Amino acid sequence: MTEATDLAERAGDRDPRIGLRAVAALRRLLEQLEAVQVRSARNQGWSWQEIAAELGVSRQAVHKKYGRQ
Amino acid sequence: MFERFTRSAEDVVKGALDHADRAGSRRVESAHLLRALLDGEGSRGAFVLVALGVPERRASLERALDLSRRRAGLSGADSRALAELGIDVEAVVSRVEDVHGEGALADRPRPRSLFGPRRPFGKEAKDVLTRSLRIVTARGERRIGDEHLLLALTTHPGAVAEALADHGVTHASVERILYGEGEDRGQAKAG
Repeated sequence: MTEATDLAERAGDRDPRIGLRAVAALRRLLEQLEAVQVRSARNQGWSWQEIAAELGVSRQAVHKKYGRQ
Repeated sequence: MFERFTRSAEDVVKGALDHADRAGSRRVESAHLLRALLDGEGSRGAFVLVALGVPERRASLERALDLSRRRAGLSGADSRALAELGIDVEAVVSRVEDVHGEGALADRPRPRSLFGPRRPFGKEAKDVLTRSLRIVTARGERRIGDEHLLLALTTHPGAVAEALADHGVTHASVERILYGEGEDRGQAKAG
């Protein structure tokens, strides 16, 4: 009985909706986290080049996303 | 689409722009549409909200929106899904806020030129507008009113619909006020 309940619960854990939702939520959280960290680095005088190197993206990519016009 | 908006729906869109301006948000989000709807008076949308007892619980509803905004716009269901992965959203938010200040993970304006375009609608808010048009079309109505924007807000899964549902505003409850019996029973009768 307990085993059956456990199994049912574990099957529930495999519900793709929960997993997919977690991925979407994580992406959203990640976007905001990135913005916070980039802003903070800029405030501390980091160059776009230095920020891009830490993020593992190109300088152009980071500047296009966060740079001033 | 906008040419089909009634005055009340126009007021919500304008009000949402003002709310986004005041909050310093980069885009107009569906939460701004909801805040503007809550400001409405004498419209069909306002009538629905009063009938569902929302004005008395407005502070609580706005707190729910504020909390979601602080959590990068995540809903309670989003936070629970992340908890399944062992990620405690509240812990992440409070650590980031400890270092970077309160509201650090809330949507912030992107540095822009003074003469840049007026802030655009976010993807979700745009989707709400599109859905309102679809609702009106499906019902064979012609004009989009603020009550249709409210209906559309309840159908878009996410933090806003969740906050609304927690305060008794669901697609079913709004339809019941607007159209009486509700779609399901109407169909059951017809069948």
